[in-house]
Amino acid sequence: MTPEILLALLAATVQAGTPILYATLGEILTEKGGILNLGVEGMMLVGALIGFLTALHTGSPVLAFVAGGLGGACMAALHGIVCIWFMGNQVVSGLALTIFGTGLAGFFGTPYIGRTAPGFDKFSLPLLGDIPVLGTIFFQQDALVYFSFLIPPLLWAFFRYTRWGMAIRAAGECPAATRAAGLNVLAYRWGALLGGGVLVGFGGSYLSLAYTHLWTNGLTSGRGWIAVALVIFAFWKPSRAMIGAYLFGGIMAFQLRLQAMGTALPSSILLMLPYILTIAALAFSSWRSERTHAPAALGVNMEPSE
Amino acid sequence: MSASVPAVSLRGITKVFGAVRANNDISLDIHAGRIKALLGENGAGKSTLMSILAGHYLPDSGEILIDGRPRSLRTTKDAIRAGIGMVYQHFMLVEAMTVAENVFLGQEPGFFLSPRAMREQVRTLAQGFGLDIDPAARVADLSMGEKQRVEILKLLQRKSRILIFDEPTAVLTPQEAEQLFAALRSMAAQGKAIVYISHKLGEVMALADEIAILRRGEVVDELPAAEVHSQSDLARRMVGREVLLEVRREPMELRQNVLRLQDVRTETLKDVCLSLRQGEVLAVVGVAGNGQKDLVEVVCGLKEPKKGEISVLGKTWQAFFSAPAWQGGLSYIPEDRMGLAVCRGMDLVDNFLLTTRQGYSSSVWLQRDKARTVAQELVRQFKVQPPDVTCQARQLSGGNLQKLVLAREFHRRPRLIVAEQPTQGLDVSAIEEVWTTLLAAREEAGILLVTGDLSEALALADRIAVMYGGAIVDTFPTGDRERVDRIGQMMAGMRPDADH
Repeated sequence: MTPEILLALLAATVQAGTPILYATLGEILTEKGGILNLGVEGMMLVGALIGFLTALHTGSPVLAFVAGGLGGACMAALHGIVCIWFMGNQVVSGLALTIFGTGLAGFFGTPYIGRTAPGFDKFSLPLLGDIPVLGTIFFQQDALVYFSFLIPPLLWAFFRYTRWGMAIRAAGECPAATRAAGLNVLAYRWGALLGGGVLVGFGGSYLSLAYTHLWTNGLTSGRGWIAVALVIFAFWKPSRAMIGAYLFGGIMAFQLRLQAMGTALPSSILLMLPYILTIAALAFSSWRSERTHAPAALGVNMEPSE
Repeated sequence: MSASVPAVSLRGITKVFGAVRANNDISLDIHAGRIKALLGENGAGKSTLMSILAGHYLPDSGEILIDGRPRSLRTTKDAIRAGIGMVYQHFMLVEAMTVAENVFLGQEPGFFLSPRAMREQVRTLAQGFGLDIDPAARVADLSMGEKQRVEILKLLQRKSRILIFDEPTAVLTPQEAEQLFAALRSMAAQGKAIVYISHKLGEVMALADEIAILRRGEVVDELPAAEVHSQSDLARRMVGREVLLEVRREPMELRQNVLRLQDVRTETLKDVCLSLRQGEVLAVVGVAGNGQKDLVEVVCGLKEPKKGEISVLGKTWQAFFSAPAWQGGLSYIPEDRMGLAVCRGMDLVDNFLLTTRQGYSSSVWLQRDKARTVAQELVRQFKVQPPDVTCQARQLSGGNLQKLVLAREFHRRPRLIVAEQPTQGLDVSAIEEVWTTLLAAREEAGILLVTGDLSEALALADRIAVMYGGAIVDTFPTGDRERVDRIGQMMAGMRPDADH
């Protein structure tokens, strides 16, 4: 493998990891507040479709990206109505959301299969793009990749240095103590859920606006589920989410290259690689860890009388 | 902060729960700069009174004056705003966050936080009151005493002026308790009004400026601590010499030995010896947290003793609890009815089957029809309300739930019964029924009765064992008037042979 090919592969890794990174960060924000949302796959698909349709009809990629995020938030709101308002089961509601989102995107997306829309193109960042090796890998990408670099540090600082971030963490760890401190637990859970929905929607619209520029059904092909698993791998830390997302992006890019080069391995085996890695990463991360890093009240609804 | 106007004044507070008069016309003054101890047995009404002050309940009648002005405390927020703060027995802390974050949660000065400034402020605050704590530590890594300090710091950060402590030393080691006392004195010296709820006589005498004694929901005595001469004086004032609830206890013929403990040790038990025979009730009395829990767990096979010999129904501990069908002869009536005795979401037939599987199954199948018939009969016989075996356990009141548990356990004809606080939280008529049932069970069983209620021990037991600090201080027949009179002192840790 020549250095040029390796560099191209690593650059493709960052690109393939970006939608997973957005989705993982979104789910981290949601789960920090104590809400488990298994609907990431469906939310990404809806975000991808809304982003694609907005770009197609308005011609504005930026507007399309924002619309995709809002689409994710709308899906998250459904989850909130079921789980926060009516205190429904979070696992069931999340699974239903994935099925619903997949169906919704398939139904409205089918007429557009194969059509292309304006999206984000790659450009080299001045100065940074000229750095040897690192510049090629990280700074000759599209605007959405650059934007995604900002979110992990911002999210980390949000949890640590802001009142809302601390309240969201408290709401996910111990709702009773949070309420006793005079805070409105449900309001903070809503905030975390909707904010997380926006990020997940961003991840979806990255796929249609920057990764493929065209619409196919089932565009996410399981990336939402990988994001859910990566939250656990990342110990709910934005920085580790970055490592995890690029690891999976690398495997995805790698198996694509292998297929293109015409290896003797059957393509179905290659397609399995990211998912096998998911299972291996999960097993490994919990094997080496002493304590669970999950928010203590994750997936537990708060009763009004508490 | 004039000395003449009390920080808090309770006037004629009355609170009734169902048939129980938890507080009856209570009037108390609490002054800034002083420590007021509220002393009384379990169920005397201390916690209810303080819950009213903390805004959890509204009193049925009476009024609360803060700094001489009447205030209505409808919610916990009202109470916080009035400057009242309570340190509960169960801490309200976010375990995964740091000490400083917990102290500032809900009290943040602005949108952006500075962890370093928060830590510094907590450190200064803690030092000002002699509370030793690392503001950067995760709460999950702290000891119970340190967690309690975090709770206190939360109140100090809010500038609460009236601090209520509900049995604060129940979870502390002796050294931690000493540190707490020093902090309490320091807070009082800086003008806080302190209310200290306890039933530990020694602590109250060492700490309090004034002592109010509650019994059966009424203030029976109120005096400056300086006027108390000795712990026995205080014990007599607390326990009183009231007429006991009467149940007829016919003497029984004592038969074979069902339980014997010889020099049993665990982390908390210290060389405990006791023995129990069929037809006998042995009451273990003591202030909660003196080893009763470990004793019950060892006898019921939930905890393995570290040392010593135990024989249960004629077998060794190991042999008895490793046999698959040991449940046959031993019945456990736990203190935590909802949590340990029944499953809340299952109906009464299923709950009946929980501990009574033998005789209600053929091969792998449960015979629910047969179980239903028997459960129905038991519910009728023990007058459980509602008399409907298809309702869920959670729908039953405390007294009816206890009757259901007794019905289930006694149906199995146990020969050894361990009953833990069997009448706690029950009203007078339910208490009477439970007592009668327990006495009737002596026909076939020996009963180990663990209770904090002296009148219960005196009414039911043939012999009384007093526990203190994990050891049995003394065991004597209920008829031994002289030693019965000194139970209060023994519960406070005084040797039975010591002169009073």
